[in-house]
Amino acid sequence: MEGSDTYLIRPNPQNKFKPAIVKECIREIVRERLSGKRYEPEEVPELSRSLAESIKDRVKNAGFDKYKLVVQVVIGEQRGEGVKMSSKCFWDADTDNHAEDLFINVCTFCSVHSDYSGGEGAKFKSI
Amino acid sequence: MTTMEEYNNGSEGSFNSEEADAIVKECIEGVVGADDYSQSLVNKWTAGIVERCLTQLVKQGKAYKYIVTCAVMQKTGAGLHTANSCYWDTAMDGSCTVRWENRTMYCVVSVFAVAVA
Repeated sequence: MEGSDTYLIRPNPQNKFKPAIVKECIREIVRERLSGKRYEPEEVPELSRSLAESIKDRVKNAGFDKYKLVVQVVIGEQRGEGVKMSSKCFWDADTDNHAEDLFINVCTFCSVHSDYSGGEGAKFKSI
Repeated sequence: MTTMEEYNNGSEGSFNSEEADAIVKECIEGVVGADDYSQSLVNKWTAGIVERCLTQLVKQGKAYKYIVTCAVMQKTGAGLHTANSCYWDTAMDGSCTVRWENRTMYCVVSVFAVAVA
């Protein structure tokens, strides 16, 4: 008799998103990498890219590896200009969520926005 | 011996970023168009752009979850960089970023589309 497959389409309550934990991950990494730094146009592209990678990896390893993750980092120079950022999402409010953090120092501001969406199916074979 | 029936919408390919690009550009033009940067209106603009983009994308009826972000920045010579890193299914999911500017401001809109199941 063939066994049937069971798919997990929603995360377990233990593995459910915890925005507070993710916000803390983001905050730690950003403060560690950006404190005391000046805005250097040559460095910033690489810095923002590597920040996004590090944050994505840290969140993945914090127990959210079954989730798809989208991490966006925005770094800007402070020259008195006005900046406004907005975001909106179309997703499943039961499983998906986001966490964000804003870091400002004398010459730069950095806004990090990280979204989890969709638990990945985990396949179980039952006999 | 029983066989499982497969339900899959084989016609859906990966995310079409050119189409999304066109939709986003149209939405930005529609909301901000020829206006000059204004501190009092910027809230309304970013909210409007994001709302419009999301509505138009969802209207396409594809099986995707969407995340839309928009940054509007006044032109003063300051620099701005955005970067993103995503952990997803590269065959089905995708993103598109549109940079738009007029005489007094920059607008950067990012759309992330994540396939559902």
